[in-house]
This record gives sequence, C-alpha cells and structure tokens, in this order.
Amino acid sequence: MKWRRTIRVIHRDTGYIAAVLTIIYAISGIAVNHINDWNPNYIVEKSVISIAPLSDSVFTKQQLLEHVISQLGIIDRVKDSFRPSPESIDIFLKGKTISANLKTGKVEIEEISNRHLFKESNFLHLNTPKKLWTWIADIFAASLILLAITGLFMNKGKQGFKGRGKWFALLGLAIPLIFLIIYY
Amino acid sequence: MHKIISIFIFFIMFFVSLNAEEKKKYGEEITLTEKTSISDILDNPESFVGQKVLVEGTIVNVCKKRGCWIELASEKEFETIRVKVEDGAIVFPLEAKGKKALVEGEVYSFEYEAEAECSGTCGDGKKNEGSCEHGKKQVRTIYQIKGLGAEI
Repeated sequence: MKWRRTIRVIHRDTGYIAAVLTIIYAISGIAVNHINDWNPNYIVEKSVISIAPLSDSVFTKQQLLEHVISQLGIIDRVKDSFRPSPESIDIFLKGKTISANLKTGKVEIEEISNRHLFKESNFLHLNTPKKLWTWIADIFAASLILLAITGLFMNKGKQGFKGRGKWFALLGLAIPLIFLIIYY
Repeated sequence: MHKIISIFIFFIMFFVSLNAEEKKKYGEEITLTEKTSISDILDNPESFVGQKVLVEGTIVNVCKKRGCWIELASEKEFETIRVKVEDGAIVFPLEAKGKKALVEGEVYSFEYEAEAECSGTCGDGKKNEGSCEHGKKQVRTIYQIKGLGAEI
C-alpha cells in the first residue's frame, strides 16, 4: 500500500535526523536519573592535607591568605578568598577551592573538572540554554511522537501491528500503567 | 561536501563567539539599578522580606548536584546569604565559585526546627550554655534570596 511506503520514508528520514539527539537525551536521562548517586556534570575530587597551624586567632584575612599560600606553595592566580570563621579561610583558584582551618592546620582541597559528554548532554537535555533550544527540543519531541506512530504501522502481516505488534504495544502500555497503579 | 562542512564550522564558530561574552547571564534580565549590601540585609532581614533586591558578592559555595543555589559572601567577614533558584529555571555552574555575582531576587524567610546548639552559645547566639534548653528543638528563621536573574 502507498501510505505504508510513505510512513516508512517518514520514519527512516526522521530517524536519521533524530538519532544523535535521541542518544544525547538518553545518555543524559540515565545520568540525571541517578543524580543522588553521583554528580552527572562534574568530577569532584577532595583531598586533605596538613599545614602548620597558627596559634594567634587575630590575624587578618590577608595574613591567613598569605600563610596558606606560602605553606602550600600556590603559584596559581587566586580568584578570591572568603573567611567563613575567624580561624578558617576559603581560597578560590581556577577549578579548585582550598579550605583551610588555621587553628588545626587541616586543609581540604576540592578540585572540580567537567564530566565531558555528560555535562554537555545534560545542558541540552535539561534545556539550560532555553531561548531557541526550547523550540529545537519541542520539534525533537514532536519527531519522537512521529517516529513512534509511524513505527507502529511500518510493517504489515504477522510482523505488523495487527500481528505480534499489538502485543508488544500492549506491553509498552502496561509498563507505565503498572507503575502508576503502584506508585501514584 | 567541503562547502557544507565549511558552512557548518562557520555557524559553530559564530555561535561560540556569540557566547563568549564577559559576564554570563542567568534567568531573567536584571531590572534594578541600585544595589543593596548583603550585610544590610543580614543586619535587619525582617525589614527586607518580600522586597526585590540587587546584591553583589563573591560566590563562596554552589549547589553541587543541581546548581540550584549559590552562597554569596557579605562585605562583612563570616557572613553569607544563600540565593535559591527554582530547580531548572537557573542552573549555576560549579566553576562559578570564587567569581563575583550580581543577583536580583526577592528576600524571603522560612522557619525550621533544629536541635539546640549548646556548644558555648545556643542557636540564637545570645543565650549562654546555662540557659540553653539542651536536646530541645528550636525554631529558627532562615533568610534567603529567591534568585530571579543573575550575572556572573
């Protein structure tokens, strides 16, 4: 039948266009699904070291900063620093935060780096750019609907929707329904 | 084919150059022009509740997982204020830590129950250990800014 041929063409060509975005959205979907178990955007590494503590607690922020810099031999440019309490200081470097407690000499170094591929995928999937991307994402969503509908009717006979296809489609309907009944 | 690739690369370069602005904007456009100091808000927070403010400060902390809040340092030492944004509406990047942020938002407050802190001073910072109700829950008022727009 002619209409089935048209459906095949629509399904095939839309599929080519949507393939990359589908993979991007799927990767991000898995990544953000487990947000409580890991950070899908960044690799955060923490280490703890010790420096010589300071006995006097009346130092200025600048003195604390200079003490930590000299103790750790920091040569990177310091973006800024913050004193959360009289005995501690946070020093911000590019991709790194140094939190030092001058009373105990304990220094926590937190280094962050991008989790490439995931971060970019999440950026698009969660529509962070907004603006024009919202439209692209809408068109992509519409194309997925088109792919789903045309996919149902691509084949005929035993392999088609009227054959085994209807049972698989019913299974696909049952999965969300069961979970809705249990959890909703 | 080479032409198509060249045009594609040109468009990517064009969009990258558009994005390479000095300050990155998040959320809504900033409309206020007069800044309020964070220390002024923290000195008398109740008077600012419900008010739209424009604050500036160094970002000292960022929500690691969702980028849904940042903490801005006050001009006074040891003070910070949290800027909370609607999940997904704005996503603050973790690498913003240590950068200066200009934030427009509304001051709000909420209460929560916490165990009384009795190591020297109680939760309100006034009572001494003797008058502290050990083990009892205290209601604390937290003041934050609901972030609407930001420039980092």
